[in-house]
This record gives sequence, C-alpha cells and structure tokens, in this order.
Amino acid sequence: MEEIRIDTTVLVIGGGWSGIKVACELVDLGYRVILIEDSATLGGNGLFDHLVSSNKEELSSLLAKVKDHEAVEVLVSTRLVFLTGVPGDFRVWLEQEGKVSEKTAGAVVVALEAEIVSLSTAYGFQAAENVLTQSEVEARLASGGAGDISKDVLFLVGLQQEGSPLVMERAIRSASEIQALEGCQAKVLVGNVKVAEHGLESLYRQSRERGIIYIKVKEPPKIKQDGSSLQIEVFDNVLNRDIKLTPDMVVVEEAFRPHPDATRVSQVLGIGTDSEGFFQQANVYYLPIRTNREGIFVIGSAREPRNLMHGWTDVGNTVLEVRNLLGEGKKLVPIERAKIHRGKCTICLTCVRVCPHGAIYWDNRAIISPVACQGCGICASECPMDAIQLVNYTDEEMEAQVLASIEKKVEAPQIIAFCCQNSAHEASRMARLFGSSLPEGLQMIKVPCAGKVDVDYILTAFEAGTDGVLVLACHKDNCKSQHGNTFAEWRVEHVGRMLEEIGLEKERVRFATVASNMPVEFVRITNEMEDTLKGLGPSRIKKQAAA
Amino acid sequence: MNESSHNQTSKKVLVIGGGIAGLTAAYELARLDLDVDLVEKSNFLGGHAIQFCCKADDECQKCGACSVEKRLLEVIEEPRIKVSLGSELTGMNRNSRFSYTLSLRPLKIDPQKCTNCGVCLEKCPADGAIVRGYSKNNVPLYAIDQNHCLFFKDGSCKVCQDVCPEKAITLDQGDSQASGEVDAIVVASGFKAFDPVDKPWYRYGINKNVITGLELERMLREKGEVLRPSDNKFPERIAFIQCIGSREPKLQHGFCSQVCCSYAMRMAQAIRHRYPEIKATIFYMDIQNCGKDFSSFYTKCRDNIHFVRFTPSDAWQGEGDQLTLRYSDEKDGHVIEEVFDMVVLSVGIMPGLSNAGLADLLKIDLDEYGFFACSDPLDSTPTSQQGVFLAGTAQAPKNIADSMAHAGQAAQRVAQYLGVMPCPK
Repeated sequence: MEEIRIDTTVLVIGGGWSGIKVACELVDLGYRVILIEDSATLGGNGLFDHLVSSNKEELSSLLAKVKDHEAVEVLVSTRLVFLTGVPGDFRVWLEQEGKVSEKTAGAVVVALEAEIVSLSTAYGFQAAENVLTQSEVEARLASGGAGDISKDVLFLVGLQQEGSPLVMERAIRSASEIQALEGCQAKVLVGNVKVAEHGLESLYRQSRERGIIYIKVKEPPKIKQDGSSLQIEVFDNVLNRDIKLTPDMVVVEEAFRPHPDATRVSQVLGIGTDSEGFFQQANVYYLPIRTNREGIFVIGSAREPRNLMHGWTDVGNTVLEVRNLLGEGKKLVPIERAKIHRGKCTICLTCVRVCPHGAIYWDNRAIISPVACQGCGICASECPMDAIQLVNYTDEEMEAQVLASIEKKVEAPQIIAFCCQNSAHEASRMARLFGSSLPEGLQMIKVPCAGKVDVDYILTAFEAGTDGVLVLACHKDNCKSQHGNTFAEWRVEHVGRMLEEIGLEKERVRFATVASNMPVEFVRITNEMEDTLKGLGPSRIKKQAAA
Repeated sequence: MNESSHNQTSKKVLVIGGGIAGLTAAYELARLDLDVDLVEKSNFLGGHAIQFCCKADDECQKCGACSVEKRLLEVIEEPRIKVSLGSELTGMNRNSRFSYTLSLRPLKIDPQKCTNCGVCLEKCPADGAIVRGYSKNNVPLYAIDQNHCLFFKDGSCKVCQDVCPEKAITLDQGDSQASGEVDAIVVASGFKAFDPVDKPWYRYGINKNVITGLELERMLREKGEVLRPSDNKFPERIAFIQCIGSREPKLQHGFCSQVCCSYAMRMAQAIRHRYPEIKATIFYMDIQNCGKDFSSFYTKCRDNIHFVRFTPSDAWQGEGDQLTLRYSDEKDGHVIEEVFDMVVLSVGIMPGLSNAGLADLLKIDLDEYGFFACSDPLDSTPTSQQGVFLAGTAQAPKNIADSMAHAGQAAQRVAQYLGVMPCPK
C-alpha cells in the first residue's frame, strides 16, 4: 500500500440550484470549490419548479453563501474546455471570455441544468397572442397578470412527448391558478397523467375538485388556427367520438432537454450520456450520482429532470462520495492493481481507450491510477502486447487455473465456465447453496469482470481437452465496468470463428448473460450447455490426446 | 456472521429496518466510520426487494433487484454493522443519547452451526413453518416461522431439532430483551404491500390464478418461469391490473405507489421476451415512468404487450380456473369479454403496519396516509425529532434506486448532525 496525496478542491460545473447547494455542502466539510457557470449569473432556471418558487429565502441564503465564502471561487461566463488526469489529481482548463486558465481538482461535479424547450411547433401551432408556452403562462401568473388570462384555457400535456411528473405538475399548478380566477375555466388535454411523485396525485385530485376538466386521450390533437380562433380536434376515448374544443387560449407543454453544452462537456470529461443526451448512462451501478469515470459525478437535472428535492438527494449522496474519495487529502491505496511492463508497452494507447473508468493516462508510458482503477482487467486482456497484468488475475495464474480445472477422468461433458464476480459467480454460489442440480463436469473460474477473459484462456482450455467453455457476464447495460460484457462477447465470437477454422464446432464456446440474483438462470444456462455438448460428443482434441 | 468491532468511543447509529433502505443507510454510515446497530423484525435481511427477480429481456431493465443483492453482501461483510434479526423496538428514551430497548425473538437456528443443508425444511411436517431466505446472503438461510410451527402452537413437534445433523436448532428459547444506546436513528422500516383480500371482487384468495405483483416476482426469481398456480402449466394469456390499492381516496390511499407500472411492464416484457407464445395485457389508468430511457422502453412494450386503458371492476370465474375480464373497446365502446389464464394484481406500497407504534415510541409524526412525515420541504429525510431521520418507503412510496439514494442522503444528514465528517486541514 502507498499513501498518495489527494487534491481537495472540487470543480462544480453549473451554477444552478443543485450546483450551488453542493458547493455549500462541500465547503462546510472544508473542501475548496471552483464553481463555474457558462452564463453571466448564478441561480437556476426560475419558476418552473414549485419548490424553487416556494423556498426563495433558503435558496437566496445559499446563493449568498456561495458568493461570499472564501473557499468558493465563482467563475461566471466560464466553461470547461479540457480535462486530464485521474481522481484526486485532475488538471482542468477553463475558458472565460477567450482566456484559458489551468486549475487542479480532486473531483468534478456536473450540475449543468436541463434546458426548457417549447413544443408549440411540434403541436402545429403558429405563434399567436393566445398560444402560450408553459413558461410564459407561469411568468404571466407570477407577475400578477390575471387580466391577461382569457376565459377558457386549454392545457396540452403529454401528447407530443411522454412527459414526466415535473411537466405534469407545472400544468396542474398553473391550471389551478387560472381556475381560481374569476370566470375562468381551465381544461387539460392529456396523454398519461404523470403522478409518480410525492404529493402529486393529491394535487391532481384537488385540481379536479376545483373544477378543472381533464380530458384523457391517446393521440395528439389536430390543430386549426385562424388568427386568434383556435380549434382543437381529438378522439375522445370515453365518449368514443371526435370532439372539438374551441378555447380562448392554449398553454402548450415544454420538454426538458439536456443542457445545450452537454454533448461537448461529456466528451471533454469522457463520461457517457443516456439515449436522450442527459449525463450518466442508464446503468444501475452509476445510481444515483456516479458516472463511468471515478471522481466525476452528476447531479440534478443534468442527469434527470426532476424536482429540487431529488436534486438535494443527489447533493447529499455526492457529498458522501466526495468525502469517501477525497477524505482528508490523502489516501492509502494498493500500490498497483494492474502492472504495466515498460519493456512490452508500445504506447499504442489501446488501454487508455478501452478503460471505462478513465483510470489510465500516459506520460511517456501508460500509467494506471490506483485510485481510479477498478481492477476489471479489460485493459489487460485487450493489450496487444500482453504488457498489462492484473494483480491476482495474471495470465500465468489464470492459465494455471484453467489447466487445473480440466479433469481427465470425468465421463460427463467438461465445461469450463468463466464467471464474472458481479453476476455469474454470485448466482453460481447461490445455485450450489440451494442444492440445484448443476452439470457434473462443470468447473467455474471466477473473474473480476467478464472483460478479463482473454481469448488465450479459452483456447488454452480447449487445447487441454475441455468439451466446452462458457463465458458468463452481466446483462447488457448492467456491467459494472460499462462494456466488459461487450468485449467478452466479441472475444467469444472471435474464438467461435477460430474453432471452426480448426475443425471444432463453434457451439462449444458460448457467451451468456445472467444476473447475480437469479441462480435458476445459472442452472438453466449450464444445463443447456451440457445438453448441447452431449449432442456434439466429446471434443476431438480430447479424443486425440487420449489416443 | 457478524462480528461487531464496536469502538466504544465512536458514535453509533440505530437503523430500524433491514430492507434496501436500511441496508444502504447502514452501509453508508459504516463507510463514514460510524458503528451501526441494524435492527430487523423479520428473520431475514433484504425486506421486500430481496425477493424481486431480474427483469432483463435482451438487456438490463435497471430495476435494481441485483443492487439489493450486492448491498446485502456488503452489509453482512461489514464488521461495523451489528445485525439483530427477529428484533422489534419496544422503548425509546432520550437524554444526551437515545436509549432503546428491543424485544428479541432469538434465532432458533444457530447461524454458527447451520450448514444450510436444508434437511429441516425437507422433514418439517407443517406448511410454512420453516422458511428459506431468498438470497445466499441471508444468514442463516433457514428460519422458523412461529406462526406456523407446531412446536409453538402446542409443543407437539420437534422434528427439525431432532433431524438437524449439526444440532443447530434449539426450539425452546423464549423471547428476551436487549438494549442499547445510540447517537442518532434512521427509520427505514419499509412498507406493507396492499393486500387484495380487501378487494374480493378480483377473486384473490378464491381463484388460485389471481396473484399479486409481489408473488409474480417471487415466482420468477425462484422458478425462472411463470406457471399457473392451479395446475403448474404455462398461462397462455396473462392480465395485469394496475393501481390495485393505489390512487384510491376512498381507501385513504390518495397517492401513486410509483413502482407498479414499472414492475408490471418490465415483468410482462421479460415474460414475453422469453416466452413469446404467452400473451400479456396491461389494464391501466395512466402509465407512469420508470427511470431513464423510459420513452423507448414504453414504445418497445407497446409492440409486445396489449395496453388497455380501462380498469376492470371484477374478475369473473371462467372454466377450469380461468378468469374473465370485461372492458369496453376504446374505439366504439362496445363491451369485450376476454378470458385469461392468470391475473396479476399490481398492488401498491402502503404504510407499514408498525408505523403508528414506531411513531409513538420515537415521538415523530405520520402524514395523512400513515407514512412517516418529513419536516423539511426540500429534504425528505429529517423528522420533527432532532437526530431521527427517514430512509426509503417508510417515508413514501419509491422504487429501489430512489430508496437507495434516499438512504444515502439520510446517512449524510446523520453524519452532519453528529458532526463526524472529517475535514481536510
């Protein structure tokens, strides 16, 4: 073990409410914070979250704290342009009005707020006095412009997007305010009423009791707009016929989209995004606030547009992770989890590219950070020079294990199963414990990640006379190292082609995925493999060796 | 199992409840170098979530069931966490610290001696008297359910004690008391699943092929396949009925349980992926989201599952233990009667049965539905009592990911309250 120095500054990207809150919490623990914001002012998007507008005092005091605190460096009109290094030792380049400065940080928190986008065009509306966006009606109601609200107001929600509780809540609140105005009637044309949020079903029911009419439909409406005359036609599933609504005013829902700079920032940071472009890939290992890269966290609407309470939950969890990572500025780490042989390393940078955790950087040789390395072994098995060895899972140790697993005298088909410790290994132990019937010739070899399974190990197994090889990984999108399972699958396909070339059946090697809590699946997969191998008969290599 | 290495001078926290929220809170507190007393009233850690199945089709559905497994393993390997099973809080006194008393129902099966051979379960004559935990990380794996055990009814049976090859079972152990002192408390006592016995028109408890979402989870986890309870055959048509017990002001449940649309869709999709010959229909009011990438998942589901926006009011008895559901067609309103082999009632998350008692003992409040009330509009972890925090579904319905996040936040608030997070100089 060695003690390494850890930088106790945290870079917070995004000066919205979650960014401000995390900055406040971190300085309370004694960390320094660099808070950067690409616009000219701090403070989040205003009215859309009811929790923001109803807790202005508390939020103002947080804002004041961040501006005054000597441990917080606030940089507005600033964006991140480059990041290098490893957790505890990041170097970042910040650009402010054309000038670039270099800073250091131990951790990074991404708090770039989602942007709000109008869906009026998507619905087919032309710009008009009586076609408002959700934000516009909120602003009008907030500034007390009751007189500017027409009598018959129709809200459109969840018909040009699936929507979310936050979208729904905005409509319900504004509709309720309008319903309370003298002579006004609010109606909501809605797809699925999203109420999966604390207190929202109750708010919805109350709004109905106040007289708001909700019309639930399945298709987007047909819009006819003639000057200020509005005609909305839609098929009503309760009346089973088309209905025509002629409101005086419509309020159109808005969508939450990732921050406009999200793609660029995610590339600079080397972190993934989900299918909609929000930071943080969808993977249970990253929840709530982690990313594929150690030391880089995402909070609030940067990862998912939800209300401020969830942003605060993200902040609390981030504080825990930052504290665990940065500690008091020093950390005891294993000297090496993975060793790079300088003589063999050709600095091809394959390892740098395949490492999902951002743990490898290079000077005049590849260097693996002991803080960031998760010991998955993907780099070791991808390195074309076999220059990387994973401690406790060296090629020598793995091949020895494979050879030791081959039993010469077993009648039943020999199966060597490489089991990922996060999924298959756990499932296999549970299967044994529950007394499930597993194939007699099954031998299991634990690996830290399926991405550690080298093509060589599989070939060694066949050479030594196994009848079949299973490589068992976590399900797609469930890999703790993001794509270890994908690498394993490619390698198995590769081995399958090689087997065919040498006259063995490619069905003898199989890649499958299983979850840690499903021993019954482990039993099914291994028994199916045994049936396949019984059908194929013993491996020709085994027969030749015996002859 | 757990050798506690309690440091007499470090602060200690009581975590009430060993489900995913309690496990996560305990784990995060231990990571902060705090000692934890984790108290669980049942025989097993893991709560409801440990019973859930993996719902992957050709990819992970991010339900979080495997995260529970992982967290349970981390907890049982953490020496700072002292686990007490079969334990319920009986008293709480507050002076400079919190002094608590527990009633302890001792483990009849000694985890030090038990080898998990399962002979006791095999030989036990009473149904449900010996139960097995869901996970290999449930230690001990077997437990005696006093409600069904004949020894506890009339002292008539000691078969398990006699057949156990390790002599690990001692039936004749009375309840005892235990006590402790802590500096903060996390209430993570979980929820109670809605019991559809309260809605007999769905024939739950009458027709064997009407089951709850929780029962389907257990079936898929244990057997890996879905079978009709009446004849152990594959169902050709399964119906899911949503919002059972939730969004019902008449029952004082005017809230959405947040998890039922997710679990029904994911399980229906997983079943359809594995057994395309099984047809699935989901009867719903409003479909709720589940996590990231929901839109694309919903689209995929709509290609595979028949969604009907209608809540059938009854399940009628059909031939051979089948069930008929009636609904109206959404185009022209005519009545359709459809026969199903199985009906899954998507039951919701209700306040735990011990909530009222716990609220009394801890002097904290319940909200209008019976969940524990949080005292801060922006933070759902603190209560009206300083030093007592909430985690998970004890506070309000939420899914596994949110329960874990909530528990993490509670742990951080505890650390803040205790002033124990070390600062860099």
